[in-house]
Formats: sequence, structure tokens, C-alpha cells
Amino acid sequence: MNTVLEVKDLCKTYIVNKRQNNVLRNVNFSVNEGEMIGVMGPSGSGKSTLLYTVSGMDKMTAGEVFFCGKNMSAMREKELATVRLEDMGFIFQQMYMMKNLSVLDNIILPAVKSAKHRESNQKIEQRGRELMKRLGIAEIAGNDINEVSGGQLQRACICRSMINNPKMIFADEPTGSLNRTSSEEVMEELTKLNANGTTMMIVTHDVKVASRCGKVLFIVDGNIKGEYAIDSSANLRDRERSLNHWLMEMGW
Amino acid sequence: MYRRMILKDLKRKKTLNIILLLFVVLSAMFTASGVNNIMTVEKGLDHYFEEAGMADYYILSHKSNGKDSVQELLQNSENAKSYRKDEVIYTSEDNFKQNGKKLMEYYNVSMVQSLSNSDFHFFDSENKIVKEVDSGKMYIAGAIAGKSDLQIGDKFTLKIGEINMEFEFAGVLKDALFGSEMINNPRMLVSDEDFRKIANDEYVKQYNSGSIYYIETDDLSALQSETAEAEDVYLAIDNETVKLNYFMNMLVAMIILIVSIGLIIVSFAVLRFTIGFTIAEEFREIGVMKAIGLQNHSIRLLYLAKYFCIAVVGAFIGYFLNIPFGKMLIASISKNMVLENQNSAVLGILCCIVVVLVILFFSWNCTGKIKKLSPIDAVRSGQTGKRFHKKSILQLGKTKLKSTAFLAINDVFSQPKQFSIITAIFAICTVFVMVLSVTANTLSSEKMLKLLGLTKSDVYFVDSKRITDVISGARNVNETKQEISDILAENHMPAFVYIEEWYNLSVTANGEKYKVNFVWCDDTETTDYTYTKGVAPKYENEIALTEVLAEKMGVEIGDTLIIGIDGENKEFILTALFQSIMQTGNVGRLCQEFEIPNQLMTGAIGYQINFNDNPEEKIISERIETLKDIFQNKNIYNVRGFINNVTGVSDTLESVRNFVLLISLIVIILIAVLMEHSFISNEKSEIALMKAIGFRNHAIMTQHTGRFFISVILAQLLASCLCVPLLILFIDPIFSTMGATGGIEYQFNVVEQFVIYPLIITATVAISAFLTAIHTRTITASDTANIE
Repeated sequence: MNTVLEVKDLCKTYIVNKRQNNVLRNVNFSVNEGEMIGVMGPSGSGKSTLLYTVSGMDKMTAGEVFFCGKNMSAMREKELATVRLEDMGFIFQQMYMMKNLSVLDNIILPAVKSAKHRESNQKIEQRGRELMKRLGIAEIAGNDINEVSGGQLQRACICRSMINNPKMIFADEPTGSLNRTSSEEVMEELTKLNANGTTMMIVTHDVKVASRCGKVLFIVDGNIKGEYAIDSSANLRDRERSLNHWLMEMGW
Repeated sequence: MYRRMILKDLKRKKTLNIILLLFVVLSAMFTASGVNNIMTVEKGLDHYFEEAGMADYYILSHKSNGKDSVQELLQNSENAKSYRKDEVIYTSEDNFKQNGKKLMEYYNVSMVQSLSNSDFHFFDSENKIVKEVDSGKMYIAGAIAGKSDLQIGDKFTLKIGEINMEFEFAGVLKDALFGSEMINNPRMLVSDEDFRKIANDEYVKQYNSGSIYYIETDDLSALQSETAEAEDVYLAIDNETVKLNYFMNMLVAMIILIVSIGLIIVSFAVLRFTIGFTIAEEFREIGVMKAIGLQNHSIRLLYLAKYFCIAVVGAFIGYFLNIPFGKMLIASISKNMVLENQNSAVLGILCCIVVVLVILFFSWNCTGKIKKLSPIDAVRSGQTGKRFHKKSILQLGKTKLKSTAFLAINDVFSQPKQFSIITAIFAICTVFVMVLSVTANTLSSEKMLKLLGLTKSDVYFVDSKRITDVISGARNVNETKQEISDILAENHMPAFVYIEEWYNLSVTANGEKYKVNFVWCDDTETTDYTYTKGVAPKYENEIALTEVLAEKMGVEIGDTLIIGIDGENKEFILTALFQSIMQTGNVGRLCQEFEIPNQLMTGAIGYQINFNDNPEEKIISERIETLKDIFQNKNIYNVRGFINNVTGVSDTLESVRNFVLLISLIVIILIAVLMEHSFISNEKSEIALMKAIGFRNHAIMTQHTGRFFISVILAQLLASCLCVPLLILFIDPIFSTMGATGGIEYQFNVVEQFVIYPLIITATVAISAFLTAIHTRTITASDTANIE
């Protein structure tokens, strides 16, 4: 199986008030194609920083990150932007959208910007509508972003992350702002996407969310303290139970 | 607690607060100086005339063999309530020399008089009345002296008759009676001792002595009728006409007044917008304050206190800046006039207080929204989900635009209120500059020839010496024309020379008598000139009058008027009306078929020269330089130079236009910087998101700059559409006060007004927005994790 993301000795240090704060310390891990990896850990452990650093949104202090074989640490900001646009998808806890665009236009914006597919805007719009239909939000295509519920908006964000057929989706607390029902709906969709071959990395606090992943990294004080492979044949409740058990062992 | 919150807010939102403070400073400065200027201009001329000791009616007379017929007439007149008299000696530019060259160049007659014996007040540059002049020194009053290079202490000679005296230049004075750009007869003020010395010269007694009468009357028209037939009158003019001669100065003053009003409107619009915008930015804090239990009025009070602090500091700074700014605005017209506003300090303070109150009102008004904001706004970032209309106007899927261009256009049309105010402010700034530019161009264009009642010729030769000789009877006008023509032919520039002659004649209409300046030229046809009504005079007994004069006399086309010429009364039929700004419209035109004795000629602007070989502009310019050497006279112009010289304000207007352009640029830079900064802070999450999904820095900066670019382009279009209506609305009435009642044909320089200035403004906006948009680079994709 091909490795999509490979992280070697990744370090990230912030200097606040002349004090060095090592957020990530020699982090090593890899994500294979089609894998869905969860990152868990207590608040301030460096989960989100890890996600933003490996996805090229934030600069690393030391180490190397290979995305589809390309060394991202050697890339310039311009190249990183192109990789993020064409090969990565992002889902955030806050459902950030462009407030002056309709839901559909927000979804198709990365595709219009990208030179990857060289499609007409009409075709892109058609793809956007199909994605929305798949995620069950076709009826809100023309709506303003303030006119839809949180769950619908997060599903729109998933559509946006999918529009350029990325090689990998990075999700930072994708259900953090949602109620239980919406949260389950969103995770159902992400699981379906993964089942269709999309590689994913999800940062979460929620055991229910993490239990849908194939592998979970537990991070404490910037170090990966443990890695847990979840039995893919088990049902959701058993996966959750076994993950909980492991997390307790890790000191969660 | 409140104090700490305000201080924290002032520190935390330093940039926005500083920009708001700058706008308060500008508003206070514009309002205080604008209102002061309005008061100054409004009262200016009356105040100046009162201080100078002006009268109701003025007569300039020649003494014939020591006899003063005007004085006799006034002594016996029942209509002259009282009068004062200044003895004068008529001179021309040729009488004053410095190192063998002319001291100053002017084409009107000048007058030497004693300062000590005059009750008329002249003012120095500090607007102080000058009462005495030392022997051997000379003050020069009038606009021409102000334009010369003369320095105090310069020595020069006065040579007239047998007199050859050396004088030291004592300074420039302001003269209410003859100091305007349009009349501009310089008055030389000497000591009584020096004046007597000159006046006692036999030649001067014979040819150059005269008087200025300042007459008070209760019945001006009766006095005008009575003096209309007086002999030896060089010029008779009433106070209202003198006032009108300040037309050019007042034109600039009126434009400054309009600019001041415009600046006040712009600054208040900007303030209202800025306060509204900054309060809208505070929804989160307001929501949180409500959530923790603060009441509406407490929150409102907090914001009012903050804006009050900024307003007081801004108004205080603005007050002190208004003084030099106001002086700078009024400087261009106060050179020839005493313009001072006694209440300027009080008015300035009052205006600043008004600005503070207006800011508080705006703040009170804008904070009214606080009632509508709920704690939910804090949670949902101000988006309550209660809006159910479709906000996005354009659709990305249906456009062929690039994503960056689409986003910029979509933003402008999705936030119409914000961007329409920005567009309106940019448009106001642009239209100011356009209107001033067109007015300045018009005043120096060939189109002014029509208003001056002149025909177009290659060269205009303002030769006061020859004209004075003709007026005094020393030479015949045809001789002077022939002489100039011969000199031109000798120098291989054969040309046709002609002159528009002026005749000051008495006209009787509806039983009233009037003194009217008639223009006559036997080398042109009356059909060469433009008329607003009727048909050009064709026969010797036909005349044309200005619309202003016809209205004043109560006559219409077809009416018969009686004109006194050389002791004879002749009947003339009025066949046409025209408009003229010469003599503030007190002008008529005689038909070339009428034969008028040349010895009655009372004036002329100058000789007009048309070269036989129809040379190009460049050749004409070269020949003008040659002619200046041949005739030893610098007053030789092409059309544009001549118009500039006659109107005398196009340079001033150009300075005003440049000043307004500078102010406009400062305003639009501040607007662009403030708004872009506000947009960045408001859209931090969107910028971070765009970066996260792969937009590059330059794309985001282009989008942000693009929004202002669209706004300023719309503003340029709007300004271009408004330019002509605003010219008609504001500038036409100013010209009509001078006699051009039928509207003005404006001179547009399309490149300058519709390309260069819009380009300057567009580039300024785009650069300001772009430089501010560079700040978006500091927002990174990873900020999506940090933004609340």
C-alpha cells in the first residue's frame, strides 16, 4: 500500500515572551493510502498543531514531512498552497465559509481556483451539486450560509474538502460544534468517503469519532505516546469500547 | 472598571482608533476652516469696502488746462450728498523704469497720488491701514504690483514731463477701488511733498493731472444721468460695479466655499460610516456584555464614552490645524482683498464643539443597534440565522471570471451599503477636481474670447503707450495700427493689425441716462461675434447690448435708444443681445458701418495681429518672442496667454485645484486604508480559510485591492456623469453674476479631466488598498485554529 503521508522527526517550537515552547517533539508516523487515522490527546497536547504542520498550513521547526513522496519541508509557500488546493481537503471545527457566497459557491470555490481539472465552471457546479446530493444537502445549494443548520454547514464543508478529489482530507474536530445527531451524520459521511478510498487524518476529543478510524495516535506534550490499531471487523460499539480501554491505559 | 475597559479598547484596536481619530481631526479641521471661510467670503467684500472707505459712485476725471468740470458739476448737484476728492497724476508703465527697463508691465493707466491727503484707506499684506509714506518712497497698490518681482528697498525712477525722480519701493498695498484683477489700475502712493513736486510740472499739469471723486448719493441713477454728459470723465463707476469687478476673486472664493462645504459633507459622511462600521465590529463584545448581564444603556454609555474621548482629542487637534488650513485655502484670494473674520477663533471652537456633538449623535444613533444584538450574536459571530433572503448576487458556476475577480465583484455587490458609501466619497473627491479643472481650463481657453467680446487672432499686443497716446489725442489710432504693421513687414512678418476701440458714451433709454462702454472695430464685421438673441447690427444706426445692460435699461430688441456722440444725440435701434464679462457686462457694440470720431476713444485692450501667412502655433510662439524684443514690450501674447492675462485667475484656480486634489488624495488614502484594515480584521477567518484551501497571498491581496478598484472605477464613472450637471449647478451661477447670464460653454480637456485625474485617484486608491492588503500575509492558514 502506498504511503500518502510520512512524518519524520517533526518538531514545532513556538517562542512566546522569549520562552521556548516545544509543541511537537520528534514526531514520527505515517499514513497509508485509504487509511483513516485519528489523533487524540488532552487539550494543549499539540494535536491541532500536528495536523496544521503536516498539512503545510503551519511551518515546521525541524524534521521532514513527505506528502505523496514530495518533501513538504522543502517546499515554498507558493508550492504548499498548490498542494493544499489540489491534493488536500480540510474540514475545521468552526464551519468557516465565505459569507458573501452561497453554499454551492463556497463548495465549488477551490475547484474554480484550481487548474487541476481544467473544467468549465458549469461542469464544476454540476460536480458540486452531485456532491451535495450525495451528502443529502442538495436543497440548500442556493442558500446563504446563515440560512442553514450547523450539521448542514459541516456537510457543506465536507463537500468543499472533496471537490478537488484530494489525496487526503485533514479534519480538525469536525464534529466539535455539532450536536449528537448532526455529529453522527457527519461521521457517517466521512466513513463513507474513507470506504470509497479517501485517506483521512482526524483530530478529535471524541472517542465516538476516533473509533471510526483504523488507527489512533495518542499524543501527550508533543510526543506520540502510543498508537492503537482498531479492529476493522468489529462493530462500532466494540471499537469504541476497545479504544476507550486503550485510552485509559494511556492515562486519558 | 469602565475606564479600564475603554483604555483596553483604545490600546487593543489601536490602528482603527487612530484612523477614527484622524477622521475626527479632518472633520474638525474642515468644518472649522470651512465655516470660517464661508463667513469670511460672505462678509468679505462688504467688510473690505467698509474698511477702505468706499463710496456709492466714483468718477475719474482729467483736468483740462487746470479746469475741473466734474467738481463744478458736483458742487451744484442735488443728487451728490457729499464727495471726497483725491488729486492724481495719470501715468503709464513707460513712466517707471528700473535699470533702464520697465518697472512693471501693465496695460491700464496708472495713477500717482499722495497718501497723506487721502481719506481712502489702503492696506498692507498684514491688512493694516497704511497712513503715511516717507519722502522718496513709493507704495504700489493693486494686483499687478503683487505679481511683480519688486522687493522692498528696490530703487527705480519716475520720468514724466520734466520730472525725473528716484523712488524706493516701500511695499505692495491693497486697493479696494482699483485693485481687482479685472480693473487693475495700479495706484502709486507717494508723500505729499513728492506729489506736489510732480504735479507742479507744466507738462503734467497740461496732460496728466486729474482727480478721483468718491461720491455719496441717495439716488444713484439720477446722479449717473446727471454726470453722464460731463466732460473730461475718464471713468465713472458705481460701487456695485466695482464689487462685480472682484468677480474673478469672488469666483475663486465661491469655489473655495463650495469646496469647503463639500469637505464638510465628506468628513461627516466618513465619520458616520466609520462609527457605524466600527460599532458593527463590536457585536461579539456587545453580545458577551449582554450575556454577563450588562444593560443596554450601560453598554451604550461605554461606547459613547469611548467616542467622546476620541472626539474631544480629535476636535482639539483639528481646531489648531484649522487655522493654517483655512489661511491656506483663503490665501489665493486674500492677496488683493482684506479678508478677515473677526470671530474666527470663537467660530472655530464652536465648530469643533459641533463636531464633537455630531460624533456623539452618530455614536448614539449607531449604538441603537445594541438593543438588537443578543448574547447569541457573540456565540454565532453576529450571524443570527434570521436572514432568509438570498445574499449572493452572482453565481460562481455561471461566471467566466477568474475566482479572484469573481470574489472581488461579488463582495462589492453583496455589501452594497458599505461599498456605495466608499464609492460616493471617491466620486465626490473626483468630481471636485474635475469641476475645478474644467473651470480653470475654461478661464484660460479661447472660449473666453466670446465672453470678452473679442475675435480670435494670432497675437494680442497690449501696448499701453500707443493706446494712451491715442486716448490723450497725441496720435491717431490708424497711425498706430499702420506703424505696427510697417514694423512687422520690415521684420518679415507681414500681418493685418486691428484694434477693438472702446468709447464711453451716454445712452438715454426710457428717459434714464447711462454711461456705456461701446466697442467698435472697423476691421471686423459685427457678424464675427456671437449673440444670444437677435441679429448682428448691419447698418450704421444699429447696435447690440449685453443682456445685463438691456435688462438694466428695460429695453428689448427693436427698441430705439439715443446715444450722445460728440455733442450730438443720435437714434439707434437695438438689434441683438450678447453676453460679456468685460466691464461686468456694461458693454454695447456699434456697427462697423457707423463712423465714430477716433478722438472720442476712451480705451482698448490692445492691438490684434493676424499674420498673412497663417503660421502654425509653434511659429507664432517664436514670432511672439521676436516681437517682444522688437517692441521692447513683454505684453505680447498668443490667445491663451492673453486670456490668462485678462482673467488673471486661471493660475490661482489651478493652485486651488492642485490643493483640492491633494486634500482629496489624503481623504481617499485614509478611507482606503481604514476600510481595508477594517475588512481584514473582520474577515480574518475567511482569509485564513482561503489560505487553508490553497489561495495564495497574492490572490487574496488582489481580491482585496480589486474591491477598492471596482469601487473607485464606479466612482470615476459617477463623477464623469456628474461633472457637467455640477458645473451648470455651481459654476454657471458664479459666471452669471458677472454678465454671462446665458450659461458658459466649458472647455473640457478630456485627457486631463477624464483620464489623468481619474487615473491619479484610481492609482492612489489601488496602491493604498494594496499596501494595506499586504497585512493579510500575517494571517496564516493555521489561524483557522485560533480564530474564534
